[in-house]
Amino acid sequence: MENPTATKPSMLPVVEMATRLMEKNLGSGLWDAQVREPDVLWFRIDRQMLRTATVVLLKELKARFLISAGTDLRAQEKGYGILHLFSLDREGVFLALDCLVPEWEERIDSITPLIPGADWSERECRDAVGVEARGHPDPRRLILPDDWPEGAFPLRRDFPYNERPPAAEGVRPAPKEHPEGTTVIPIGPFFPSLEEPSNWRIFLEGETVKGCDYRGFYNHRGIEKLGDSVLTWDRIPYVAERICGICGFIHSTCYCQAAEKAAGLQPPRRAEFIRTLMLELERIHSHLLWLGIAGHIVGFDTVLMQTWRIREPVMWLSEEISGNRKTYGMNAVGGVRRDIRPEQMPKIQDVVRKVEEEVLALKKAIVGDTTLLARTRGVGILTEQWAKEICVVGPPARASGVPIDARLDHPYAAYDAVPPTLCTQEEGDTWARVLVRVDEVVDATRIIRECLDQMPAGPVMSVMEGEFPDGRVGVSVVEAPRGEAIHFVMTGGLNRPYRWRVRAPTYPNLQAMPAMIQDQQLADVPIILGSLDPCFSCTERMEAVDRRTGARRVYSWEELETMARRAAEERGAPS
Amino acid sequence: MLMSKLREAWICLKAGRVTLPYPFEPHDPPAGFRGKIVVDPDLCFGCGGCANVCPAGVIEIQDQDQFTRVLTFHWARCTYCGRCEEVCPEGAITLSPLYETSTERGGDMVLRLEVFMGPCGRCGRCFPPPSPMERMMVTGFRSDDRGGRPEAWSPGPLGPPDRVRRRNGGSP
Amino acid sequence: MNTSVLSSLGMVLLNVALALLLSPLVEGILRKLKAAIHSRQGPPIWQPYLDLLKLLGKEDLRTSADPFYRAAPALGLASVLLLATLVPMGSAPPLGFAGDIVVLIYVAAMSAVILILVAYGSGSPYAFVGGSREMMVLLTVEPVVAVTLLVGAMKAGTLATGQILAWHAGNGPTISMILAGIALFLAVQAQAGKLPFDIPEADQEIMGGPLVEQSGPRLALLRWTLWAKQLVFAFLLVEIFVPWPRTGWVLPDLLLALVKVMVVLVLVALVDVVNPRLRVEQAMGYYFRVAISSLAALAFAVIGM
Repeated sequence: MENPTATKPSMLPVVEMATRLMEKNLGSGLWDAQVREPDVLWFRIDRQMLRTATVVLLKELKARFLISAGTDLRAQEKGYGILHLFSLDREGVFLALDCLVPEWEERIDSITPLIPGADWSERECRDAVGVEARGHPDPRRLILPDDWPEGAFPLRRDFPYNERPPAAEGVRPAPKEHPEGTTVIPIGPFFPSLEEPSNWRIFLEGETVKGCDYRGFYNHRGIEKLGDSVLTWDRIPYVAERICGICGFIHSTCYCQAAEKAAGLQPPRRAEFIRTLMLELERIHSHLLWLGIAGHIVGFDTVLMQTWRIREPVMWLSEEISGNRKTYGMNAVGGVRRDIRPEQMPKIQDVVRKVEEEVLALKKAIVGDTTLLARTRGVGILTEQWAKEICVVGPPARASGVPIDARLDHPYAAYDAVPPTLCTQEEGDTWARVLVRVDEVVDATRIIRECLDQMPAGPVMSVMEGEFPDGRVGVSVVEAPRGEAIHFVMTGGLNRPYRWRVRAPTYPNLQAMPAMIQDQQLADVPIILGSLDPCFSCTERMEAVDRRTGARRVYSWEELETMARRAAEERGAPS
Repeated sequence: MLMSKLREAWICLKAGRVTLPYPFEPHDPPAGFRGKIVVDPDLCFGCGGCANVCPAGVIEIQDQDQFTRVLTFHWARCTYCGRCEEVCPEGAITLSPLYETSTERGGDMVLRLEVFMGPCGRCGRCFPPPSPMERMMVTGFRSDDRGGRPEAWSPGPLGPPDRVRRRNGGSP
Repeated sequence: MNTSVLSSLGMVLLNVALALLLSPLVEGILRKLKAAIHSRQGPPIWQPYLDLLKLLGKEDLRTSADPFYRAAPALGLASVLLLATLVPMGSAPPLGFAGDIVVLIYVAAMSAVILILVAYGSGSPYAFVGGSREMMVLLTVEPVVAVTLLVGAMKAGTLATGQILAWHAGNGPTISMILAGIALFLAVQAQAGKLPFDIPEADQEIMGGPLVEQSGPRLALLRWTLWAKQLVFAFLLVEIFVPWPRTGWVLPDLLLALVKVMVVLVLVALVDVVNPRLRVEQAMGYYFRVAISSLAALAFAVIGM
C-alpha cells in the first residue's frame, strides 16, 4: 500500500460499472455513490429501494454479504443509519449500502429473505438501535437478555454506557417450538465440551437430530458502546485484543488497520511484516489448540495433550517477543509498539521449524487412524451451496470448497509480499475441516520464515500529525484462524470513533449449525459444533424434558432456588 | 490402522515427560515480560500522564486541596499493557517481571499515593490554566465506580460529567 | 470350627480384599501409564485411594428418595465383590459350586444393570441417554462373555469354574480357547469402561452419563465398582484362558495371575490411550462382529478343537 489515501487501483473499473448498474436499477433511489478511500464504494440509497439494491449487488455484482451496522445519527441527520456491507472478493473492494431511517419510523425492509446470512445482523440492529427489519423470519432478541426492558437501546447516543436499566417483569424467553414427535435435549449453557457457555436445544428423534435452537449473547460485553463513549482511538486496541482470548491480535490488528485507513495513516513496512509474523504465530497456536479440543471432544485425550505440547513453545516465543503469552499488547494505531530484536530471529526460526516437523508427523499419524476417521468422516457435512448462502467464512467455508481467504481477497499488512496458500477441501465434513486447519498450520510456518527473510529495516511506528479527520470511514478485514474478522470505524471527533462495528468470524459460522447437524447423531453434535471452532459467551437457563409425556418446562431462577431450598430442607441441612 | 496407532504412540513416547517442576521450583519469565506494576513514590510528581493513557481506568486522580494530589491505583483493573510505563516522564511507574500476584487481602488491590504539589512562587498556583487535568477531560479520562452506582465521568459526545443526565430531556 | 470352613472363609476374604483393596492401586498404575503417554507427570499411583477417601467424606446430594435408588451404589459394589468370590484368583473360586459358571455370567451383568437403574432413577436427561447407551452396549457385550465362558466349559466338560480351571491348567492351549480368549479380551475393554468403548460415561458428550447426578459416597462406590470390575474381569480372563504355569500353591499362583492380570490391563490401557470414543451404534456393530467370531470358537469347541 503506497499512498494510503489514494483509491485502490482495482477499484476504478468497479466504481464505474457498479455505479452504472445501481443508477439503472434504482434511478432516483440512488442518492449518492462515493469512493471512501482507499477501498470502500459507498452508496447512499433510498431505504425503500433496499431490496432492489441488494438484488443488484447479489445477482449482478456477485457481492458477498459481510455485516450490517446500525448507527444513531439523530443528532446529525434526524434518523438512524443502517449500513449493509458487502465484499467483492475478486477485486478486493467493499460495497456499502447506506440507508437513512427517519427517527419516527424505526423500521426498514429486511434483506434476510434474500440473504439468510443477514439473519443475526438485522436482529442485532434492532436490539442495538431499535430499527426493526420488516419481514424478518425470526425477529427474536439476539444480543440483549430476555428481561431487558423494551425501548432501551444501548447503542443510541443518549444511552449512557454504564446505564443499568431495571429488569422487565414477567418476561418469558421465547424458544423455538420443537417439531412434532421430537424430544429436546439441552446442550449448554454449561457443558464439558464447550469452552464457553451457549444454550443449544437439540430436537431429537431417538438419537437423530431433527433441528435445534440457539440462545447466546448473554454475556455480551458492550464493547462497541465502550468504543464510542469512553475509550479513545489509542486505547481501543487493548480492548479489541480482549474481544477474543485466542485471536486477540487479529482483532487489535483489524481495528488498527481500520483506524489507519480512516486516518490516512500508513504504518511502516517493518511494522506490517511484524504484524504478519505475529498474526501467523497466532494462527499456529490457535489451530493447535483447536486440534487438541477437537480430540478431547471425541474422547481422544492423547491428541489433546500432544498438540498442546507442540503448541507450548509458540506461547513461550510469544511471551519473549511481546511480553505476554497471549495478550500481546503490541498493536497501536500507526504500527507496533515493540520491535523484533535480531537475536530473537534465530529463536523464531527454530520454534517454527520444530512446530512444522511435529505437525507433519502428527498429520501422518492421524490420517490412517480409522477410529478417528469413523468419528469425523461424513459427519456434519456443510454443502458448498449452504456455505455460500449462510455466508460462512474461514476453514469451515474452505473445507466445503468455497475459496475465500481475506489474506488473498483483501491483502493487508505484508500479505502482498508473502501470500498464503489457499487450503481447501471438497467434502465439507468434519475431517475436511481438520485437514484444512492442519494444512494452514504448516503454511503459516512457511509464511513466518518468509517474513523473517524479507523483513526490511526501519521504524515500527508512524506518528500521526494532527487529529483524526471527521467524516471518514475505514473497513478492515483480517483472516483470523476462525475466519474473516471485520472492523468498521466511522470517525467523529473527540478523539474516539463515532461508530465502531466488530464482526467476529464465528458470527456467521454459528448460523450454519442447524444445517450441519440435521439428521446427524446426538453423539456427533459436540464435535460438529467444535469443528466450527466457535468462540462465544453466554449465561444460564435450565430446561427439563419429561420423557414420558413429552412436556417441556422452563424453570425460572426463583423456581430453581425454591427447589434447591426444599431439597436442602429434606436433607436436614441448614439452608 | 495399526501403523497409525504405532506412529501416534511413537510421537508420545519420543516426547517424554514435559511437566515442569513449577511451583516446587521457581520459573522466571523471559526479559521484557509485562508483570506487576511498581510505583516509585519518590519519583512521581503528579502529572497524570499515566491516568491519561490507561485503557482500563486503573488510575484515579483527585486534588485534595491546593497542595495535595491523590493518585489512586485500582490494580484489579490493570491489564499490564505497559502504556503507563511508556509515557511516564520520570520512570516512576514500571512493569516488573513478577507474575505471582494473587493475594487474599483486598487492601493489596488499591494503592493510594499522595503527591505534594509545590505552588508557583510567583502566582501561588500549582498550574497555569487550563491545567493538564482540565485538558484531559476533553480527550478521555474515566474515574472508577466506587462500589455503588458508577459515577458517569465519561465525557465525549455526552459532554462533561455534570451534563450527562440532562441531555435530551433529562432521563438517562 | 471346621478348618475347611475357616479356609473357605479365608479364601472368600482374600478374593474380596483383592477386588476391593487392590483395584484402586491397579487403577492408579493405569492412570500413571496414561499420563506417561500424554507426556505428563500424572497423579501418584495411590491417587484413587485418596479420591475415594475424599468422596466418602463429602455430602450426598440426593435427587431421589427411593430406597432402592439410595442403596443401588452399595448393591453394585456388592455384586462385583460377589463376582470376585466366583472368579478364580490363584486357586479355585472360594464360593464355587457345580454349575456356577452360569451364575457367574449373570452376576457379571448385574453391576451394569444396577448402573442402568441408577441412571434412570437419577432424573437427569443426560443420565437417561447414558443409561440407554449402557443398555445397548450391554446387549452386545454380554453375549460375548457368555459364549466365551461356555466355550471354556464345553472344552472342560463341566460347568463348575474351579474344575474348568483345573482342566485347562492340565491341558494345553487349543484353537477354540485361543479364539475365545481373544474375544473375551476384546470384551474386557468395554467391561472396564475404557476407550474406545467408554460410551456410557462419555464425559464430553453427555456430561458423564449415568454418573452425572451422583456425588459423595455414591460416586465413590460407583467408581470403586468399575475399578473392581475391571480387575475381576482381568482375573477371569487370565485364569480361565491362560492358566499356565501353575504350582498348585495358592500364593505363588496368585502372584503369577497378578502378573498376567497387569499385562492384560496394561494392554487395555494402551488401547484406551490411543483411541477416540466410538458412537454407540459403531460399538454395537463392533461387538456384534466379536460375538460372531466367538461363535466360531464355539464351533471349534464342538468339533473337539
